[in-house]
Amino acid sequence: MALRAPPPDPSTLLDVRNITKRFGTGEEAIVAVDDVSFSVAPGEFVSIIGPSGCGKSTLFNIIGGLTGDYDGSVTVEGSAVSGTHPAIGMVFQEESTFPWRTVEDNVAFPLEIAGAPKAQRMERAAHFIALVGLQGFERRYPSELSGGMRQRVAIARTLASEPRILLMDEPFAALDEQTRLLLGDKVLQIQQTLQQTTLLITHNLTEAVQLSDRVLVMTYRPGRLKRSVRIDLPHPRDSEVVSSAAFGQFVAEIWQDLREEASRGVEDAESRVRKGAARR
Amino acid sequence: MTATKAARSSGSTWTRSRGSTWLRSRTGARVVGIASSIAVIALVELLIIAGAINAFVVPKPTQILLAIPRIIAEENVLHRFWQTAQEVIWASLMLAVFGIALGSLLFRFVGLRLAFEAWVGALAAAPIVLMYPLFLVIFGRSTTTIVMIGFAAGLAPVILKTLDGLSGTRKVLIDVGRSFKLSRGQQFRKVLLPAALPAVFVGLKLGLIFAMINIVGVEFLINFGGLGQLINELAERYDLPGTYGAILFVILASVLFFAVLERIERWLRPVE
Amino acid sequence: MAAAGGMRPDSSSASHRVWLLRVAFVVIALLAWEALSRSGVLFKDVVPSLAAIGRALANVLSTRDFYANLGVTAQEIGIAVVIGGVAGVAVGIMLGANRFLSQAFESLLLYLGPTPKIIFFPVMIMWFGVGTGSKIAMGVVSCFFPIAISTAAGMRQIDTVLIRVGRSFRASTWQMVKSIYLPAMREPIVTGLRLGLGVAIIGTLLAETKLSNRGLGYLVIQSYALFDMPKMYALLIVLFVLSIGVNAMIGRFSHAQRRALA
Repeated sequence: MALRAPPPDPSTLLDVRNITKRFGTGEEAIVAVDDVSFSVAPGEFVSIIGPSGCGKSTLFNIIGGLTGDYDGSVTVEGSAVSGTHPAIGMVFQEESTFPWRTVEDNVAFPLEIAGAPKAQRMERAAHFIALVGLQGFERRYPSELSGGMRQRVAIARTLASEPRILLMDEPFAALDEQTRLLLGDKVLQIQQTLQQTTLLITHNLTEAVQLSDRVLVMTYRPGRLKRSVRIDLPHPRDSEVVSSAAFGQFVAEIWQDLREEASRGVEDAESRVRKGAARR
Repeated sequence: MTATKAARSSGSTWTRSRGSTWLRSRTGARVVGIASSIAVIALVELLIIAGAINAFVVPKPTQILLAIPRIIAEENVLHRFWQTAQEVIWASLMLAVFGIALGSLLFRFVGLRLAFEAWVGALAAAPIVLMYPLFLVIFGRSTTTIVMIGFAAGLAPVILKTLDGLSGTRKVLIDVGRSFKLSRGQQFRKVLLPAALPAVFVGLKLGLIFAMINIVGVEFLINFGGLGQLINELAERYDLPGTYGAILFVILASVLFFAVLERIERWLRPVE
Repeated sequence: MAAAGGMRPDSSSASHRVWLLRVAFVVIALLAWEALSRSGVLFKDVVPSLAAIGRALANVLSTRDFYANLGVTAQEIGIAVVIGGVAGVAVGIMLGANRFLSQAFESLLLYLGPTPKIIFFPVMIMWFGVGTGSKIAMGVVSCFFPIAISTAAGMRQIDTVLIRVGRSFRASTWQMVKSIYLPAMREPIVTGLRLGLGVAIIGTLLAETKLSNRGLGYLVIQSYALFDMPKMYALLIVLFVLSIGVNAMIGRFSHAQRRALA
């Protein structure tokens, strides 16, 4: 059952309304995202969680303005989004640092584009580099850093453009569990410090509960919003909070919905293989 | 390294395994390679002395080696080397400018790319240097002819690799550029071109090598220019040791050129 | 509101565009040529009219003399590729199969490969005389290197897993060669031969232009000496069409083979 679109609210930063995205036409058309609506308030940390194939990356691309040709609307601070928007900062899942630039040149990139003079650029870049905990590594190249450090550079670079909303697509997916936990922690700290409005796409349950104020659960394809769960846990979300009973309850609650969708995904993949084999 | 490991494991047979392990190692192999080359040369020397090989067809290797300092002194080899080098430099500049420009053009306009990429590929396989008599007619017996042939011969790989590098840019980097609302020009200058640089350099390396080979070859064929002409002259004078020596010198120079290009390529690589 | 998306052209309009552009390019080139020819900007005969070139082309293709020379050149190239090919594949297999030999000698090939081979021509003349021998020798020296290098690289790229599978089934040497090595080597050898053919054509023809009294290269340099420009253009056109054509055919052939095996 899709959530009904909320009425327009001046206190929301991001307003996503009735997004539907189809790939292909006619009978062969796949509906990736079906009538998704939600909003994000200023300073809020919202996670969208769903099984693989639920269209969350498509949603990421739509909200970020990289994909067009959809039904519905995306509004940031009242202005409609059409194409990429300077108020939306994006952090991608894959390796996205520029390998030919040093860490500080990477982070200073948005400031360079904006035309800031060199001294100012470097100063601001240094600030964000310190924020993600990479001070001392300014002159290094991404190839000299670990995967987790590179993602920190990517996050610092996006933060340097001071976006109104930070949009992240499974930024920790390529990292090992421990790095992921530490980095997630760091990002939450930064978010709390800056009061940065954040929308995180993830498939990791614990991560979603640990970091967010609200978790939106998506169904398997066609992706609809199944549930919205408010995470009423105290900040900072340290190890005590994470190991508390309340935390476990939130995780269990969300897993119930997620599990159903995840197994639909697995069944669907299997039936596709069977159909493909039958064709031969 | 391997020797020490072998030493620890085989105790008393340490001396023996050390020798054969070294032989089988990489430096061992290289030394064997060089040693056998020298052995073959020595064998040729002996066969010529013995009369098995006609000394008028193949001069003694020692004579050839002695000829090299002689021709360096008498034939102004360094000046000729510089002449050939200048031709190569001119061709390289033209290749860099036009090759990268045309490659970028084909990348920018998909229609052009679809229509003409295959043609450029065919050009890469075509025997362009065979047009040298035509170039002679158009540009005369001059440095221009030689440079133009070098340029024409090396152009196709530069265009193709530039195109390849630009279109092979990882999608996520392009998305990063889009997320920062880069203009088309900014996207090209700050994302696509730097990302394509390793491939562009490979193309330039190939283009430069083709250019150099054809430049020296045409110098030889039209008896004009630097090193290639030297070989032709010495051959026409029937100065056998000199001819062989000059050929050897040119081969060494081109090997050096190739090695330098490889070094530069390797130096550019770690950035990715 | 939906953002503007790029419209992907359907395939038929895209291929129309391709043909349109190609035809336009050729037409413009020919018109520019004719204009240049008539304007007399360059010395009169350097840019003959299209008609003159067409006539020369017809002439060239209709005389027995041309085909005799074509035959000579084709023969020289054919023999050169056979000799260079066999030697190149043999050396390539040895270097690719044996790590020690490869480390000892392969860099020799890699560094001697990208060198101007035509400068060896005086030596070839001394060894093989002024006749076809020296031209064939030039062709062999030219094509040996790319074939050997490609074959050696191909040998090394054979998935070692496949070799271990063969050994685990205790295949005999001949079975290994037939079922594992040969199929795996087909592509690198064909690639090497394609490259080798290209450089053999160049090497042989350049040698013919330098010192010969037969062959296509000889015809080209003769037309230069006689300043018969239309004929030179005609010969060059034939030369290019033939070599690009042969290269394309090999390419098609290897693609078709690959699809047949898939």
